[in-house]
Amino acid sequence: MDSSPTGNVRETGSPATPPARPTPPARPARRAALPLAGFNGRMMAPGLLLLAAVSLLPLAAVIAMSFARVHLLGGLRLEGVGAENWARLFTDPDMAWAWVRTAVYFVLTVGGEMALGTALAVCLWRLRRGRNAALSLLLLPMFVAPVIVGLLGRFLTDSTFGLYTWLLRQLGYNGDVMADQTSAFAAVTLMDIWEWTPLVALIALAGLTTVPSSALEAASLDGAGLPRTLRHIVLPSIAPVLLVALLIRSMDALRYFDIIWNTTGGGPANATKTASVQLYETAFRFFDFGYAAVTGLLMLAVTTVVARYFVRLLERKEPAR
Amino acid sequence: MTAVTPARAAVPGRAATPARTAAGGPPQRGSRASRTVVRVLVAAALVWTLVPLGWMLLSSFKPTASVTASTPDLWFAPTLQNYRGLFSGANNLWPYLQNSVLAAGLSALLATALGALAGYGLARTRMRGKQHLSFWVVSTRMAPIAAVVLPIFLIFRFLGLIDTLPGLVLAYLSFNLPFAIWLLSAFFSELPPSLEESAQVAGCGHWQAFRHVVLPLTRPGLVTTFVLCLVFSWNDYAFALVLGGPHTQTLPIAASQLVTQTGIDWGQLTAIGTLVVVPMMLVGLAVRRWLVTGLTMGAVTGE
Repeated sequence: MDSSPTGNVRETGSPATPPARPTPPARPARRAALPLAGFNGRMMAPGLLLLAAVSLLPLAAVIAMSFARVHLLGGLRLEGVGAENWARLFTDPDMAWAWVRTAVYFVLTVGGEMALGTALAVCLWRLRRGRNAALSLLLLPMFVAPVIVGLLGRFLTDSTFGLYTWLLRQLGYNGDVMADQTSAFAAVTLMDIWEWTPLVALIALAGLTTVPSSALEAASLDGAGLPRTLRHIVLPSIAPVLLVALLIRSMDALRYFDIIWNTTGGGPANATKTASVQLYETAFRFFDFGYAAVTGLLMLAVTTVVARYFVRLLERKEPAR
Repeated sequence: MTAVTPARAAVPGRAATPARTAAGGPPQRGSRASRTVVRVLVAAALVWTLVPLGWMLLSSFKPTASVTASTPDLWFAPTLQNYRGLFSGANNLWPYLQNSVLAAGLSALLATALGALAGYGLARTRMRGKQHLSFWVVSTRMAPIAAVVLPIFLIFRFLGLIDTLPGLVLAYLSFNLPFAIWLLSAFFSELPPSLEESAQVAGCGHWQAFRHVVLPLTRPGLVTTFVLCLVFSWNDYAFALVLGGPHTQTLPIAASQLVTQTGIDWGQLTAIGTLVVVPMMLVGLAVRRWLVTGLTMGAVTGE
């Protein structure tokens, strides 16, 4: 067919040609017995073997650790203790509270990011001029290292010279933000929202640009106001994209602990000690690797469920291509 | 409520024109009032987003006394002393910078190269259990860092890879490699297989078809993958904290250490923050067109 190999991919060729030939059935059924045989298999082999080394090996290790006491000094060794670490899980109020805090933090950050991000996307979408410039500026927080977000948050809320402390003082709030349990929790939540709302806005905006303008015109001719148009036309058509944003943020919300670790370190009085922070402390402050491994596996279980759903979603999308 | 107000004229410069003249024009998106609301909201979002970053940038050029003034100080004599302080005297940032560039750059490069191969294979293979493979790749990428860093620490300790650059690169591959495989496989699936087939008919080998036909067409995907991998590993804190040491400290570690040692020099801290943040913003915005695809791992294609 096309002789020039570098030709335009999305062939908009003559209208007579049938669109994108379905995968040729003539191709030899090279469904190899070995998963990594054949050309595709050879292509995948180096990457997948390395991936196995950096993912399956650690997984095996963390499972082994969860049933053991880990000795670091005098040569690394694991001493089997049966299900002791797992049993502790059910009698440890600290851990239960850490999970409660994680859940609250999760709902507030992901919920806030979804709501604000969608609202921001709708605003940007309705902006006539300067949408690109505004979007570029609004995306900047995503590229900031979470450590720097945390440190910057500390700088802004410093009790003597923080810019936001000063602003709050003008508004009549005189407390030390990072010293109070509630406000410290609010602060780390807002920092996460500051950093990741742009991502949701970016994804939602990509969905909004595909809303058919004919439907919008019809709605406006029918005299539907903005709230009704949003609810009945816009939101339903960007719902799939919002779901992707929700899943991505859900998996990432459990990933990082840099912000909390660098602002409050879990304090004051454990108010911001989420499961990640608890895990880090258990392992690298108290060197209780076995128990930390149990926490790690629990967190892994949560993200695995979300990841499973994410992959299903993509597969459902596949035949549409 | 908004439907009652007549639509505004299409010419933006004619804001003063009576609304009456717009009657009969094409349906417009929203009234003048609602557009003002939109502008105000976007402006508010811009302020909320940019004030912390602007304040960091500004403070990095302030003299020490001005950084910690109890009322915000906007009139000051700009100075480079904070940046100079980072590269001279007690703390020399060069080794940190070098570690950051090497660890992030190498791991992004390796991830993109291996990800291109494996991503292509994954996009084209019709083997059984493909969805299990996909699931494994995605869940590896999304595994909580705290849970991953724990066993890797023990393994690295066993292998003597703690505080080595190869160790750090390998650790970064644990999240960059699955990301690259998955994202590039999404980019490759966009290309019709007939493309390579026709190249093969024209006499190319399978590898040549990949190398000379598929890869050049996926250049945006390759660049986006590289950039995002670079951002992820450059911004990493947890892995560098646990697996690094005196010889492999990266910029984020240097930044957080400025806090704990001998009081906090906020002037220097804002300077280091600026150094960490600005390069990633530049490379990130350079691939903005493909950011949606990249950050949703191919689930959403934008613009």
